[in-house]
Amino acid sequence: MKTLVLGIGNDILSDDGIGPRLAGDLSSEFKNPEISFQTLALGGLDILDLIRDFDKVVILDAIRTENGVPGDVYLFTPSGFKGTQYLSNLHDIQFPEAIKLGRRLGIKITKNIRIIAVEISEDRIFSTEFSPQIKENYPQIRRDVLRILKKVVTRDKS
Amino acid sequence: MKTIQIDPVTRLEGHGKIEIFLNDDGDVENAYFQVPELRGFEKFCEGRPAEELSSIVTKICGVCPGCHHMASGKALDAVFGVTPPPTALKLRELFYMAHFIHSHIAHFYALAAPDFVVGPEANPSERNILGVINKVGIQIGTEVIKQRRLAQEIQALLGGHQTHVVMNIPGGVKKGLTEEQRDDIVKKAEGFVEFSKFTMQLFKDVVLGNKNYVDLILHGPYSLKLHSMGLVDEKNHVNFYDGKVRVVDTVGKELYKYAPHDYLDYIEEHVEPWTYLKFPFLKKIGWKGFIDGQESGLYHATPLSRLNAADGMATPIAQQEYEFMFKTLGGKPVHATLAMHWARLVELIYSAEHCLELAKDPDITGKVLRTPIEKIVGEGIGTVEAQRGTLTHHYWTDDKGMVRKVNLIVGTTNNHGPICMSIKKAAQGIIKKGEEITESSLNKIEMAFRAYDPCFSCATHSLPGQMRFILNIHDRQGNVIRSIKRD
Repeated sequence: MKTLVLGIGNDILSDDGIGPRLAGDLSSEFKNPEISFQTLALGGLDILDLIRDFDKVVILDAIRTENGVPGDVYLFTPSGFKGTQYLSNLHDIQFPEAIKLGRRLGIKITKNIRIIAVEISEDRIFSTEFSPQIKENYPQIRRDVLRILKKVVTRDKS
Repeated sequence: MKTIQIDPVTRLEGHGKIEIFLNDDGDVENAYFQVPELRGFEKFCEGRPAEELSSIVTKICGVCPGCHHMASGKALDAVFGVTPPPTALKLRELFYMAHFIHSHIAHFYALAAPDFVVGPEANPSERNILGVINKVGIQIGTEVIKQRRLAQEIQALLGGHQTHVVMNIPGGVKKGLTEEQRDDIVKKAEGFVEFSKFTMQLFKDVVLGNKNYVDLILHGPYSLKLHSMGLVDEKNHVNFYDGKVRVVDTVGKELYKYAPHDYLDYIEEHVEPWTYLKFPFLKKIGWKGFIDGQESGLYHATPLSRLNAADGMATPIAQQEYEFMFKTLGGKPVHATLAMHWARLVELIYSAEHCLELAKDPDITGKVLRTPIEKIVGEGIGTVEAQRGTLTHHYWTDDKGMVRKVNLIVGTTNNHGPICMSIKKAAQGIIKKGEEITESSLNKIEMAFRAYDPCFSCATHSLPGQMRFILNIHDRQGNVIRSIKRD
């Protein structure tokens, strides 16, 4: 099954870069040539071009929720999607709209899409460093995301 | 693993806020538009080798990375006192035309067309790009995605990456074009010209063919008489990459025409306590507050202002459309905010035509790509037209070329004052005492700033395009009497 793991975010905007960092760090855990890892700084129409023709797509992004604890990890399906940092932060169109558009235009967009989102603390200061909360918890975040990612990639066929 | 429901309020910090204050009669007295700001970019740059900046600045903003890359490249040429060879300059401009093509296509079909093709009062679930495609047909939708992607491919080819561009180095560019690659770009550019002409015709059929829309553009609560700014070439034609900054007043008379490196003599920034984002104004006129008219110090820097500030377009079809637009709207300058959508399509045609011209230029496959650096001047200014306004990068370095200070005036910041005023004017025209405030009302207020194609990503992280925002309406005592959220 041709699978794409896509880390989205800005790596000079503190915790905002958690998606690309995780994509880079976790790629070595998967030896299957059918699984590829990429990073992206945008969502919307740019995502359409990247995810077309894959059988499964897993997106790693940052999220901020009310009363959320930095480091918490969430798993969404597109139908339960409410908006992570980049998938709802677009110049053009939002993620669910992009998916619908792609399908409407006959582009092969898999139904097997999952979004793994990490609760973050700081994304308004330019820095290549994570905030102290994310930096301290990164090993645990990495383990949590890896556990979910392995499950999604290897077992989840829905 | 958790499943959660995210209340829209949880993303409050990432919303734009529009605060509307009513008077005792229940009419709009004032309106404020606020956006959150990113902090520390200048500090982030300090102490780094200057040549790194052109790659770093592409990450300020995911929406107009190519614009920052170009402004930065020009500023670095100046820092190192070097002029790129002709091939390098043409390759930069070729990249830039592709950047404008993909951005203007996205704005028109994803952000502007829903209001006109589907309708400003349509159900919001249909007032989007899907609704547009339902109206105009799947074939056109497919073409939109295709043409945008082809423009992105040119950017990726020339820029090394379509978003995180690594093309420019002080004195030139990193790589050139082969004949085979040039032939491919020529084919793509021929398609861009045809598609841009088609898009203009669609606009004419749908918008100009509808009296209500023409009335909305010309007579709705969407006009501001402000001065107009834009880069022009030696013939006073619109130029996105280079030239002098020309400012014309509210009746179209030239106020100033200055070299970009003199910008501090002409532009100053006003600060208000209720927002982080500054308000640039014309220094020689002075800050006169949020007023329009000839005495105002405010200007706008948009596709429409670029056409207002110029004497014409540098390519033939764009020139025809330029003349037709001003003739139809009653002559220059035009102050109808929604005419920015039309001006953007004139620019789309120019970008496509110029892309084709550059691709066919014999110099474009030249082998001399860089002028060697021999000195460090220590200060440099680079100005280009971003899709959403005049963009200036100003760098200072020490004698080793390490960054001491950075100042940016980004495209949308130029328009901060006009956007605030447009919102207030639209709110005053749309919200009336005793009348229900509907989603359609909200959309019509949003149309006032959507026309600017605002992108606060350079200064904020969360508010490009069709933004999430909260509109609070306050009574005379300041109490919130109505709140509408859009996510």
